[in-house]
Amino acid sequence: MATGVGRRGSKWLAAARTPLGACSIVLLTLVVALAVLAPILWQDRAFAVDTDAIGQGPSGTHLLGTDSLGRDILFRVLVATRLSVTLAVLATVIGVTVGLVLGALPSVLPRAAGRLVISVVTIAVAFPGLLLALFFAVIFGVGTHGAVLAIAFAMAPSFARLAQTLAASVVGRDFVSAAKVAGVGRIRLLVRHVLPNIGEPLVVNATIGAGAALLAFAGLSFLGIGVQAPDFDWGRLLNEGLDGIYLNPAAALAPGVAVVLAGLAFNLVGEAVAGVVGVRTRSARIGRRSVPAAGTAAAEEHGDDALLVVENLQVAFPRPSGWTVPVRGVSFTVRAGEAVGVVGESGSGKSLTGLAVSRLVETPGVVTADRLEFAGTPLLTTPERELRGLLGTSLAMVFQDPMTSFNPTRRIGRQLAEVSEQHQGLPRRKAFERAVGRLRSVRIPAAERRARQYPHEFSGGMRQRAMIGMGLMGEPRLIIADEPTTALDVTVQRQLLRLLARTRTEGDTAILLISHDIAVVSQTCDRMLVMYAGRVVEDLLTGDLAAGPRHPYTRALLAATLELDTDRAEPLTVIPGRPPEPDRVPAGCAFAARCPAATDQCLVEDPVLESVTAAHRVACWHPQEDAAPERAREAVTAGGAE
Amino acid sequence: MTAAVASAGIRDNPWLSFAGRRLGRFVVSLWVLASTAFLMIQLVPGDPVRAALGMTAPVELVNARRQALGLDDPLWVQYGHYLRGLFTGDFGTSMSSGLPVAQVIGDRLPGTLKLAVLAFAVVVVVAVPVGVVFAVLTRGGRRRGVELGFTSTTVLLAAVPEFLVAVGLVALFAVALGWFPVAGRGDASAFVLPVAALAIGPAAVLSRVVRVEMLSVLGNDFIRTARAKRLPARLVYVRHALPNALTATLTLGGLMLTGMVAGTVLVENVFAWPGLGSTIVQSILQKDYPLVQGIVLVYGVGVLLVNLVIDVLLALLDPRSTIRES
Amino acid sequence: MSELMFDAVSVRYGGRRGLTAVDQVSLTVPAGQVVGLVGESGSGKSTLARAAVGLAPVSAGRVLLGGADVRGLPRRRPLQLVFQDPYSSLDPRMSIGESITEAMPRGAHRGSAGRRAEVARLLELVNLDPDRAATLPGHLSGGQRQRVALARALAGRPDVLIADEITSALDVSVQGAVLNLVRSLQRRLNLSMLFISHNLAVVRYLSDQIAVMYLGRIVEVGPAEQVLTDPQHRYTRELLAAAPSAHSSLFDGDLGDLADTEPADPHHPPSGCRYHPRCPIGPLVHVDRTVCVSEDPAEGAARRRHRAACHFTASDLAPTAIPRGGSAS
Repeated sequence: MATGVGRRGSKWLAAARTPLGACSIVLLTLVVALAVLAPILWQDRAFAVDTDAIGQGPSGTHLLGTDSLGRDILFRVLVATRLSVTLAVLATVIGVTVGLVLGALPSVLPRAAGRLVISVVTIAVAFPGLLLALFFAVIFGVGTHGAVLAIAFAMAPSFARLAQTLAASVVGRDFVSAAKVAGVGRIRLLVRHVLPNIGEPLVVNATIGAGAALLAFAGLSFLGIGVQAPDFDWGRLLNEGLDGIYLNPAAALAPGVAVVLAGLAFNLVGEAVAGVVGVRTRSARIGRRSVPAAGTAAAEEHGDDALLVVENLQVAFPRPSGWTVPVRGVSFTVRAGEAVGVVGESGSGKSLTGLAVSRLVETPGVVTADRLEFAGTPLLTTPERELRGLLGTSLAMVFQDPMTSFNPTRRIGRQLAEVSEQHQGLPRRKAFERAVGRLRSVRIPAAERRARQYPHEFSGGMRQRAMIGMGLMGEPRLIIADEPTTALDVTVQRQLLRLLARTRTEGDTAILLISHDIAVVSQTCDRMLVMYAGRVVEDLLTGDLAAGPRHPYTRALLAATLELDTDRAEPLTVIPGRPPEPDRVPAGCAFAARCPAATDQCLVEDPVLESVTAAHRVACWHPQEDAAPERAREAVTAGGAE
Repeated sequence: MTAAVASAGIRDNPWLSFAGRRLGRFVVSLWVLASTAFLMIQLVPGDPVRAALGMTAPVELVNARRQALGLDDPLWVQYGHYLRGLFTGDFGTSMSSGLPVAQVIGDRLPGTLKLAVLAFAVVVVVAVPVGVVFAVLTRGGRRRGVELGFTSTTVLLAAVPEFLVAVGLVALFAVALGWFPVAGRGDASAFVLPVAALAIGPAAVLSRVVRVEMLSVLGNDFIRTARAKRLPARLVYVRHALPNALTATLTLGGLMLTGMVAGTVLVENVFAWPGLGSTIVQSILQKDYPLVQGIVLVYGVGVLLVNLVIDVLLALLDPRSTIRES
Repeated sequence: MSELMFDAVSVRYGGRRGLTAVDQVSLTVPAGQVVGLVGESGSGKSTLARAAVGLAPVSAGRVLLGGADVRGLPRRRPLQLVFQDPYSSLDPRMSIGESITEAMPRGAHRGSAGRRAEVARLLELVNLDPDRAATLPGHLSGGQRQRVALARALAGRPDVLIADEITSALDVSVQGAVLNLVRSLQRRLNLSMLFISHNLAVVRYLSDQIAVMYLGRIVEVGPAEQVLTDPQHRYTRELLAAAPSAHSSLFDGDLGDLADTEPADPHHPPSGCRYHPRCPIGPLVHVDRTVCVSEDPAEGAARRRHRAACHFTASDLAPTAIPRGGSAS
């Protein structure tokens, strides 16, 4: 628990140091100080009637002039702080309480009554606060008490809705289900699991709500429905000031400015708190990135049929602590018509490599390479406008999540067709016909009809087919497929892998298949690149996998993969430890800490990817020699070190 | 049998069933609104007639007026009268002017409508392009300075309520510069300040929302797909991002429009604009309850209508929405 | 130690246009045994698990724990569930020690010292450092969180444990460690266990029996090795053939165009045998087999080998045993 408090405490401190946080704290302190002190200090001067100075403009004695009874505007505005703020806070407290009760009622009441409360809240929420406040002002009567209740009741429905929405989102999460299964009672569920997880957004909204209440109160008083003379708040002063706006504009503007500043104080505090609680977006300023002089792979021989040439590719992102480099010097070649797999666990940089190669990494990410060529065209130096045609027709992408990779508001056929409209200059109808043809070629049944449907009407497997079809709108020479089957069932996965394989043979298209599953890659590809911590650690033919990979990581990965013939009598092989974070890659070999063969050299020197045979490269100081990978099994307890 | 078939047909057509459900909700909401407005008068503490006529009014006059208004009838009889009156367009009689409420509303409504609709148009025309442009300029953490300037400007503008904007505008453009009239309703120039006062805050809020929505849409996988198709940036933003940002924008736009209807109340009072807003405040202060009731109903129906239109537009825009509801 | 039994359990969501996620499922998890449940997404396997612990509404049938209907049992039952996603199944604002303590039966451990000792014992049981009891879940890796989730489930002193896709969110290298742990715990504590996964290899490794689910129904169930080496239902065969393997080809057991059909819509399940629109020995290939469209093969499944819900079971037709994990051709 102590760590939690400490962490949160420092978060608050950090928030106070931001311009927004500092600003809001200063403003709020000022407002509170005035609310406490002003009536004590200047009560008399705010009420002092001076019949000699009625309705005067600003002067030396009256900095902001006087009102129709000759009272000093400045002091009246300052003194009004207490009433204005107190009433707003009071209304907020009542409103939030009523709102929370309304929000909690449906979970306590019988079903029918609960639903009634919900629907009443739903209708009330549609009404703007001021209209509700006017409505309640009629019921509660004109005056201070009426206005407090009116504003409180006007706030309540939106708070009830907020509490309901937040609670519903928490209740839907697994940890609440888990607590239910564990037998935790309703009350404890509410107090220990739901409330703590919705508390912060509620506080934030209550603070912002107080700002809104302040403005609303000023509005009601300004209309004459709120505070009545001889009491005065800022709204009342504004009302009085507006009548004499030609004589003394300051009399109307001063209370206005006061309202805005106080309202801002609450709003800013709310926003600052939200910034602490929610996701921070601001990041520290970082200097220009210089390419780290990390060890790079030896330049690889590549023949004339090289389609994609990558040499020393690096991808870096700025973080508050400095640059983090998830891809650290990757080199490989894909030949025309070749299927190459990229294997690695999460965080190995495999997906980012795919994105970088296809030039889809956006700022603030920075991509550098000694050489990055596709079909003979350098990708990093050629202007994007010139690349568009080439990449649009010759390079196809298939992404991991078929549910989110299509635009939900456009029909599938049109999303395919726009490729041809853009890059091949086909007219709308021709392009659509081509789209239908492509959908047919990826074996989507009833392609004509399906082309007119929206993505949500497609199953995941069908969407992934359509995605491949989209790549086929041009004449792709390379398809980069990033975990294309991870979200799919095994039977659908096999269909899709077959489709990719067929597409490859029919169109002599090369494939770069990125996957966490070594079995999927070895079924589909001629060659695989094994990635670890942003590096390619081994590059071998999939046919050589059985004969024995050289890198200890590849061997461990292969041994850890469950198959249908894994020995049930033995515990599973595990790789102890976990991969390094991308911003904390150790010196030397990144795998050394988990490697059974590591020596002192591995901890200091970073091995370079070097050829062992013509078609086999490995980055290891101690490449494993024996033919059959020894299934070195760790004891069960060793798994705990992960 | 035929009825069953028909109802099955409606259930099978998502559009018809959506329209049916939504209309049903609208009617129920109308009924709740009407009943609430009726209850409002009943909930007013004390005798509304006495309150309206003042403490000095003779007992006979109060009683006669009570009788005329039917306030001595049992509650459900009054409720029946009231609902029947609503159906025939009879909203009762204003206690202060003696004119039919319907007539007063008929006189005042157009002024308010013109103000709200014009201001809303200004908000949409200004805020959507501004939001899109700033989203594109500041996407992916680019141009932090521009982002800071945009955010702080819009936060500040949004924090100032419309009646204060109105006062500020009056002080600057009417009093100090004398460019526009201070109050009243004359030629087109009379519209400038009230419309500006109503539009500035919501425009700031909406442009912020459009920007945030655009940014979150730009982070979606399908935007990456669109970029992978190597579409020109303009198409990515306008064709793929904007329509997806509009659903949330529209939801907020609806709330904003109803909020602006409420905003007219305050702005009309600043500019002495002869609309519903200035009328309802006067009638609240004069305790002219039939008139208050009538105007509350009109505002309420307006809000419900806006919500209905927004829901239908959302369903039209987002092909998934009808499915989601069913 | 007791057995978990599903007796013709159905779970139905929504009204007239709702869907039946689980349809008349009968399945027994014998005491001290592990039953693996496989099936594709949407087959209803997770819903079945949730129904057992009361998170999904049982609309027909009964769930029996040690012979007693679970609905009659007290709130804290000797039946626990471990969830798929370790990132959402732990309260981010509760230390892992608190989460585990919360799941302990009331009165089982006197005083805070007793409870602390129990937390330490449970953390050690799942190979975590007991000193980390005060840690918030945010500081743990996915594999470590899943261990905590296991410890929490064990805190309830369950006789029966249901594991719902507990390794599918984890990397390969971590998956092995969690599976090893689950297996050793199951043996040490003699738990009855329902182990749910879409991954046949994972299920095979742990299970004594395997049940295969398709569109809300169990289509085949039997001893693990038998189901894998001699599958009766064509769907089981297809699952076996589709399991990715480093030493089998993509094009083994090609089903032709049938392989490209859409998965069925659970809102409108096919008539008769629910698998018939995809079945390579069904009416799409053999025109005379209209019985697949008209008759529900669940009738009489009890008489068939592995209780297979198929009118033309493999042993009836082609007695070719399938080599383990191998090709179906």
